[in-house]
Amino acid sequence: MRRILDRVYDLSEWLAMASLCAIAALVFAQVAGRVVDRVIGLFGIAPYGFLVPSLAEIAGYLLVAASFLALAGSLRAGEQIRVSLVLARLPDSARRVIETIVLVLAAALAVFFFAYCVRMVLDSHRFNEVSYGIIPIQLWIPQAAMATGVGVFALALLDDLVTILRGGSASYMATGDGHAEEHL
Amino acid sequence: AAETTWDMPVPYGDTNFHTQNVVQFADDIKSATGGELAITVHSNGSLFKHPDIKNAVRNGLAQIGEVLGSRLSNEDPVFGLDSIPFLATSYDDAKKLYDASRDEIAAKLDAQGLVLLYSVPWPPQGIYTKKEIKTVDDLKGLKMRAYNAATEKLAQLAGAIPTQVEVPDLPTAFSTGRVEAMITSPSTGANSQVWDYLSHYSDAQAWLPRNMVFVNKAAFEALPEEQQQAVRDAAAAAEARGWEASKKETEDKTQELKDNGITVTAPSPELRDGLAAFGETMTEEWAASAGESGQAILDAYKQ
Amino acid sequence: MDLLVLALCLGLGLLMLLATGLWVALGLMAVGIAAILIKVSVPAGAVMATTVWGAINSWDLAALPMFIWMGEILFRTRLAEDMFAGLAPWMRRLPGRLVHVNILGCAIFAAVSGSSAATTATIGRMSLPELEKRGYDERMAIGSLAGSGTLGLLIPPSLILIVYGAATEQSIARLFIAGVVPGIMLAGLFMGYTIVWALLNRDKMPEADERVPYLERLWQTRRLFPVIALIAGVIGSIYAGFASPTEAAVVGVVLALGLAFATGTLTRRTFLEALRGASRTSAMIILILAGAAVLTAAMGYTGIPRALAGFIAEQQFSPYALLAALTVFFIVLGCFLDGISIVVLTASIILPMVEAAGLDIIWFGIYLVLVVEMSQITPPVGFNLFVIQGLTGYDILKVARMTLPFFCLMIVAVVLIVVFPELALWLPQTMLAR
Ligand code: NA
Ligand code: NA
Repeated sequence: MRRILDRVYDLSEWLAMASLCAIAALVFAQVAGRVVDRVIGLFGIAPYGFLVPSLAEIAGYLLVAASFLALAGSLRAGEQIRVSLVLARLPDSARRVIETIVLVLAAALAVFFFAYCVRMVLDSHRFNEVSYGIIPIQLWIPQAAMATGVGVFALALLDDLVTILRGGSASYMATGDGHAEEHL
Repeated sequence: AAETTWDMPVPYGDTNFHTQNVVQFADDIKSATGGELAITVHSNGSLFKHPDIKNAVRNGLAQIGEVLGSRLSNEDPVFGLDSIPFLATSYDDAKKLYDASRDEIAAKLDAQGLVLLYSVPWPPQGIYTKKEIKTVDDLKGLKMRAYNAATEKLAQLAGAIPTQVEVPDLPTAFSTGRVEAMITSPSTGANSQVWDYLSHYSDAQAWLPRNMVFVNKAAFEALPEEQQQAVRDAAAAAEARGWEASKKETEDKTQELKDNGITVTAPSPELRDGLAAFGETMTEEWAASAGESGQAILDAYKQ
Repeated sequence: MDLLVLALCLGLGLLMLLATGLWVALGLMAVGIAAILIKVSVPAGAVMATTVWGAINSWDLAALPMFIWMGEILFRTRLAEDMFAGLAPWMRRLPGRLVHVNILGCAIFAAVSGSSAATTATIGRMSLPELEKRGYDERMAIGSLAGSGTLGLLIPPSLILIVYGAATEQSIARLFIAGVVPGIMLAGLFMGYTIVWALLNRDKMPEADERVPYLERLWQTRRLFPVIALIAGVIGSIYAGFASPTEAAVVGVVLALGLAFATGTLTRRTFLEALRGASRTSAMIILILAGAAVLTAAMGYTGIPRALAGFIAEQQFSPYALLAALTVFFIVLGCFLDGISIVVLTASIILPMVEAAGLDIIWFGIYLVLVVEMSQITPPVGFNLFVIQGLTGYDILKVARMTLPFFCLMIVAVVLIVVFPELALWLPQTMLAR
């Protein structure tokens, strides 16, 4: 079970990273197209006018995928921000109780969010929602990436809740107090 | 009866003539129903952003809203009819086109649980450039702003280079030469103070895109009969008022362009003929994509 | 329920949730949902999904992970170290020395980035480790970073000015130009404070570097070339017409990769580490933005900010009193909402007031940016604080305390711009006179 879950988080993070690379690649292709046009212009050749169609919309959708698919990874690395000053002053036992309550609340919220993301995807699919730009993009596709990311995030919170209920320590604590600064 | 309150997200700011018309519309309803139906207008995309407004109304997150109709043209060609270049280029023609297509548009919205209330056009779209455009050949090789399939096609027909630029980026894009021509209304031109970065406006009257105001069907039908009637009456008044306001907007904003040193020209016969030819091509393509019902609308319009 | 009571309850609720250690983003969402459930009859879950989708699916926002990625790559090259080593001999005699690099770095980076979180994250990734390594006072290093990061919004391009320009139908070009002088002035105030602080706290400054002979100093300066090439490449790509400001972020990533490759620090491992770091950090910031969007939608439905602004409108203040009241109003609102949300939610009520008071709309835009910029560094909801907590692991409250002097300097800047409106208006009037 542990291994499957870790695989899921990993896969989700890889997809997020791939989305970031895709944004960079598409945007860079557009910029390079302009540079090429300028250069061939110097030789009196008419510009080619290379266009990455719907670039702004696609980049926005990839950003959604990148951000939400990375949630579980960033949570488990302790990168998600929370205020820990108050918690740090409590005795261990009280701290554990509050930590559990916080995880219950967080997991409930994430599951609720996930459910409505799924509804949004189904709704967009049913009404054939498409983007407005040059290429009509089915909106349920990027929305499904968002729903998946939120779902994996909810899973990660439930995972930590179970861990802490069994007396273990949550993944995001592994790096100190929610702090994952690497020292190189 | 208990007071009903509706939220109404609209995309444009408070100074925009569409928004001002909407505010008047909301006031009319409030007084006609004796305060029983109160509409809160959320301007400038402050409740939902433009791309999300239609879905928000469909899902009942807001009861009533306004969008630029042609934003939906990728969903169904009928929404893009008002934005076919050089098909309907005057207020009279735009009205005829709207009358011919209104039932079809209303039916498409109805299928999504939305009731079309009224529709008001923007001023006719003209060509903004840094140099004078005398014939269509002057557009050849210019980087022309394209933001959807239709504007991309138009640029291609003109031999221009379709270029994507987001609205807030336009000043930088014109100043640094990433874009050299755009087609938009004198309203948008004057409101974004185009004289800071370009010099010529050709009043080509390419098309008159319309905004649509629609209401969630379930919310509408939940109203008592006399309130529904009040909404319909206010909508009819807003539509009549909006078309007049749009005409006045065209005059005022064109004057504002002139006052600020933009060279405003009427298109020469050569330019007009060249552009009209593009219009015919695009109308044919539209008819092919819109099928029988589309052809029926065009036939009704051309009568 | 009375709106003021509801506002107080929501504010307290948020503080309590955050105090228990609930993640900031989820706390914002929870309070937003609670507000919708209490006050309006729309499905809160659907509002959350639609709002978050609408807020994050954004071209402008795409620059954020790209800039953070660029910072992560540079952090793994020797570039930051080189930059500080190249500058150190020249800054020797200036009190405050390399702290100024923090401020100037943010000011220069602000010329390409429209967001303060991206500015803080990118510059901080490079400067904080270097300043720490060289023994600089931590409070000063962190405070100056958090403060200067806000320049991202004032120095063009600026996301807030774009939103304000759209809301008021003002020229974005004019607003951008108007932000230049106040931006430089604010950077100047920060540097002035740094100088004074360094003179008063000589014991807290690290040992001065050895005095380097002039010729050797020039030779050291060669280490600045990669940085200069990078800055010139990114800014140049915009002004030469190759890239929009959003696209310039990707130019930055590509140039940073090129530099890393040229200096031999680009390996498969460093590439993936940088990418993973960028992905995690931007997911953190973006989830908080998503939470803020839910709270903003809730505020739109409940009408709390409108009602509060309307209360100010009823008072019939004189222009100066109005500005004082608005400043307090924006600072309080800025503790809980992000700057762009504040502008969007209150523009309809505030702008008529401002016009009635005879204030210039362009000038007011700059004033507004300065005031809502402060929201970036006030707890509990301040994006620069979150970014710095991510960088250092220090709790946001601690970071906020370190930033307090710079918050006060921003109030000084607001006073200056109110007393001397020409600071904002002179440049656009001169450059765009027709
Ligand atoms: Na900036
Ligand atoms: Na704040």
